Amino acid sequence: MINVCCRAIAQLRACRPIPEPQVRELCYKAREILIEEGNVVSVHAPVTICGDIHGQFHDLMELFRVGGDVPDTNYLFMGDFVDRGFYSLESFLLLLCLKVRYPDRITLIRGNHESRQITTVYGFYDECIRKYGSANVWRYCCEVFDYLALGALVLGATTDVPPAASDNENTQSTLPPEDEEVESEVLNANGDILSKTLRRRFAGLSMMSHHTNSSRISPAPDVDVPSPPDHPASSLPLQSSPSSQSLFTPPTSTTGAVLCVHGGLSPLIETVDKIRLIDRKQEVPHEGAMCDLLWSDPDEIEGWGLSPRGAGFLFGADIVRHFNHNNDLSLVARAHQLVMEGYKEMFDKTIVTVWSAPNYCYRCGNVAAILELGEDGSNGGCIARANGDQGRREPVGTDGSEGGSGVLWNLASPGRRYRVFEAAPQGTRGMPAKKPVGEYFL
Amino acid sequence: MSDFQRSFARAHLSRLPPEPPAIPDEQQDATREDSLDIRPSSPNDSLSSASSASSTGTIVPSPSRNLFERPKGAALKSRSAPLPWEDFFSQELFLTQKKPSETTVHHAYLNPPTSSGPLVVTHHGAGSSGLSFASFTAEFLKLIPDAGVLSLDARGHGQTTTTDSTGVALSVQDLSLTTLAADVAFVVNAVKTEMKWTALPDIVLIGHSLGGAVVTEVAHERLLGNALLAYGVLDVVEGSAMDALRSMDTYLSTRPKSFPSLASGIDWHLKSRTIRNTISARVSVPPLLQESKAHDQWLWRTDLASTKPFWEGWFIGLSKKFLESRGGKLLLLAGTDRLDKELMIGQMQGKYQLQVFPEAGHFIQEDQPAKTAQVVADFYKRNDRSGLVLPPKVDDLIKQGKLKPASHK
Repeated sequence: MINVCCRAIAQLRACRPIPEPQVRELCYKAREILIEEGNVVSVHAPVTICGDIHGQFHDLMELFRVGGDVPDTNYLFMGDFVDRGFYSLESFLLLLCLKVRYPDRITLIRGNHESRQITTVYGFYDECIRKYGSANVWRYCCEVFDYLALGALVLGATTDVPPAASDNENTQSTLPPEDEEVESEVLNANGDILSKTLRRRFAGLSMMSHHTNSSRISPAPDVDVPSPPDHPASSLPLQSSPSSQSLFTPPTSTTGAVLCVHGGLSPLIETVDKIRLIDRKQEVPHEGAMCDLLWSDPDEIEGWGLSPRGAGFLFGADIVRHFNHNNDLSLVARAHQLVMEGYKEMFDKTIVTVWSAPNYCYRCGNVAAILELGEDGSNGGCIARANGDQGRREPVGTDGSEGGSGVLWNLASPGRRYRVFEAAPQGTRGMPAKKPVGEYFL
Repeated sequence: MSDFQRSFARAHLSRLPPEPPAIPDEQQDATREDSLDIRPSSPNDSLSSASSASSTGTIVPSPSRNLFERPKGAALKSRSAPLPWEDFFSQELFLTQKKPSETTVHHAYLNPPTSSGPLVVTHHGAGSSGLSFASFTAEFLKLIPDAGVLSLDARGHGQTTTTDSTGVALSVQDLSLTTLAADVAFVVNAVKTEMKWTALPDIVLIGHSLGGAVVTEVAHERLLGNALLAYGVLDVVEGSAMDALRSMDTYLSTRPKSFPSLASGIDWHLKSRTIRNTISARVSVPPLLQESKAHDQWLWRTDLASTKPFWEGWFIGLSKKFLESRGGKLLLLAGTDRLDKELMIGQMQGKYQLQVFPEAGHFIQEDQPAKTAQVVADFYKRNDRSGLVLPPKVDDLIKQGKLKPASHK
């Protein structure tokens, strides 16, 4: 099988489809692997997180060039492998082949386009018919779709920006002074640093702990908190430890877990464990928790809102903040929405959108990004799932504009390196002729 | 379809005889004319029944109608016989709008909503008429019985007439987008007055083709204020519409200029697959044609070629306005998704609902009235203010004591 797989990988890397019997075998094998995965796959950092691909095969090759090859780099793809681009088949089958060959080095989760109904409209079905003359391959692929996990939980990420894989002098020479900590940095496809952000220092904040803490205990004058925090000390770590300690003891570099889903949160799901209860082996439903995970979007609203997409929900900063807090998460990573800059952090960096299809649909003019999270070595490689007391915490929702929701001390967000890249120059090669215009009758 | 295929299809279509080739069966027709409660057709007689994808609604005719009344006694097969609007709408309205320079009598078909039901206002495309939404209306009201549907004839179309101050019919119509959008607002408000509604019901605007541009303009200019709940656009996209305009002259020149009878006009629409649903064509085609006494033939009521000066103005800026306007947004396309760059970005950012019917032709609401109605009904229900129950906000739950404030172990 490994030999067959290697040959298929080589052929697919050249953007040549593999014969139908091989597809059937590959899909069968892939299902055997995927069925063993839970709805929420645990992935250990370091990992490189990728968003929508949409059949842009040459850009997927560019992604591997920029982010490193499988199995050298551990990848997590957040769905929407197919549709719209002209090489959905080659892109998906290559990823699937890599999954079968290196099951522990690549994680695939389901996007809203991994569905029978959507692929019949947005191109993947037609592409299969065009390339094989029958719907068999499409059918095999759809069966695999039903087995894809719904989410992934990245554990053991560090608060430091991961070390660059390539020995780039820039990285070395621009190391920040000792007392500054880089929280995130953005690199171009050549590994040059475009920008970076420094982590806010909350030690300073704790010096004035009396003010901040008192305001936290009663979030807002008009809010009647029915049951004050049971253990204020534990939920307010800076209060529990003398401020001097947090200033001078080097904080642990452990972060909370990172939840990766294609779309976003669901009002029906308060905990990550609830996701594990879904019966996922089915076509994506029109509503319900599974649908929401694949369809929802974050938005600048409070609470939940109606999604203009016609499926899923919109959710605001307060929802993410509380979800992260309750689940010991430091970040939600998701895809699903085109962002012109390739990635977008929202809500006090509690959620990030990663988009990996540059110049989407060969016309949108956007760049793409991938997100690298580094491994936390401070625990000797030991990873605790719920390590609340050990984890370093940072306040979210501090700008006071969120209404009376107060501040939550959530687990510190992981260090994030974004690599931004543009469409591969050969991306349009062999592109079918422009779609015919409609027979308009005004 | 390649250019070659298209030109082949055009050449082929223009050779089709305008007169249906079928031999009339006088005996059968006479029998049928006597039994008025026979349904005008079964869904199976649809021309498109070969394609299983087509959905034809079965319409129960009102018994008082003589469905098989023949124009000038010409006996025709029932599948080409016109259907009256009364089978689809409960009333028609003539609403007079007087301006110093002109008087317009707007014509519209209406099924009023009951109690608190919403009102769907439909606007047809260029060269079409309010009855383009007749089949859709029947299907829609099956799904949401308390809703109403108002389908208007735009100026220069159907039975809407415009005369100058001396009472002479205008030869040159103002079909600019601004005027057409203002007409929608006028008609809706005039219906409100006519029906003695105290306030406007919740309105969902649905426009096909040019009508899509008009309803978008109405939404963008907020001409219906807060009554507008949501709007839907059927099979028109700025980018591809602008591309298609270039070939419109050719397209129009391949259409027959006249038909010997209404039935042959219906037949042409079906055979050319312009409309792929027999029942819809039988009700929507008659208002497109008017009899020319002099030449004993039926001519197009609207001279589409003469509307050319307005074409670009209808579609320029459509994508931007569609994305910007307030209210729920639905884009329903036929065939394949022909999104332009702006709508592609908007769709992938989740700004609106996109639905594609691969099997439908351009007259999506006529070809697939049941499916279109289902999508619009779901679209309405999602956007319905009264029915909207969102999950409670986390902070509200905490305030109400139903959820413990977050605290970790």
